[in-house]
Amino acid sequence: MQITCTINGRTHRFDCAPESRVLDLVREAGMTSVKAGCGEGECGACSLFVNGRLVNACLLLAPQIQDAEVVTLEGLQEETAAIRESFAEHGAVQCGFCTPGFVLRAYDYLSHGGERSEEAIKAALDGNLCRCTGYRKIVEAIVKVKS
Amino acid sequence: MNYRRAANLDEATALLAQYPEAQLLCGSTDAALQLRHAPQTTVLIDIHTLEELRGISVEGDYMRIGALVTLNELLRSDVVRASLPLLAACTETFGSHQIRNLATVGGNIANASPAADLTAALVALEATVTLTSQDGERSVPLETLFCGYRCTKLDHELITAVTVPLQTGSWYYRKAGTRERLNIAKVSIALTHGHGGFRISGASLGPNPVRFRTLEALLDGGVYDDAAIKAALESDTDPSGGFRSTQAYRLRVAFNMIKEALSQPEER
Repeated sequence: MQITCTINGRTHRFDCAPESRVLDLVREAGMTSVKAGCGEGECGACSLFVNGRLVNACLLLAPQIQDAEVVTLEGLQEETAAIRESFAEHGAVQCGFCTPGFVLRAYDYLSHGGERSEEAIKAALDGNLCRCTGYRKIVEAIVKVKS
Repeated sequence: MNYRRAANLDEATALLAQYPEAQLLCGSTDAALQLRHAPQTTVLIDIHTLEELRGISVEGDYMRIGALVTLNELLRSDVVRASLPLLAACTETFGSHQIRNLATVGGNIANASPAADLTAALVALEATVTLTSQDGERSVPLETLFCGYRCTKLDHELITAVTVPLQTGSWYYRKAGTRERLNIAKVSIALTHGHGGFRISGASLGPNPVRFRTLEALLDGGVYDDAAIKAALESDTDPSGGFRSTQAYRLRVAFNMIKEALSQPEER
């Protein structure tokens, strides 16, 4: 089937099977910030926005992005600059594999007026796993993002 | 894979009549994995854009929840928080933010998982589901929709809405699992206690959400004895229903939750 959508503002056309994962399509389109992690919706490394909602690209099938506006971290460089700086300043990065997902979740959370308390941020990060940092520094980085 | 997108509800029911073996696609959180690992069908009917199946509204003493309402829409709904606090509490424990942005009420029901959180909560709330086919609409109590592991009695029908009586009296909801968040239930218990007596259900304690009728009758009769509660729980549950720990463990946790529910219920 033919799928047409925009990714980071540019029109993309895919000739794919309906059961293709959006994760694979966006990576093939060059958006490699979208990581193939657990493949089951547990780790959040493949998080991206579809029509403004943050979702797991591994749980999304091609027809779900027909005519949709898809945005990945590549398309939000300016908007996430302060968050990325805070991650770097607080050492909230080790191997970096989970980082794009965490940055997008932090952006989603803060841009919706999310509370800057540790407890609320921990709850907001329920869909993202990190196997290196122990989360402390990630939570700290998000608390201290300069607005 | 033969893919068909339904433009409206009439088209969806016509497609279902034409392809009874089809898999419906709405939130896709479960369908995406099933199609990848063990496809049961070669036909996919996409209903995720059907506006008719959205929206939450209060009609008299009932709340109507469209089948395509997402878990995050439920979670953010003031009317759900105010009128169905048990459902709001359950929604808070459901999946992750990213999953709640996709997962739908109708999808959670139709998927018929033994561990489905929402379904167990809705059974305790005595929800009914509206099923629509080419022949029209029918409503059945949610509890009667299931027929075993991942099995429903849907007959060329799709779930279009869930109707839930507004909650009165006290309630309790608790889930146990291996992760604090993004949990799949090893056991969950939903309980309401109002004018009609106790309504208790649980997930992961049988092939489908279980309504604990023996236990309800016991408690309605004023018997709160530990041994009697344990015996009732055992007779109400089906050990073949869960895979995330032993039945002995799940029964013990369920018992502890029931005790907690009786001593510290939430008041509406």
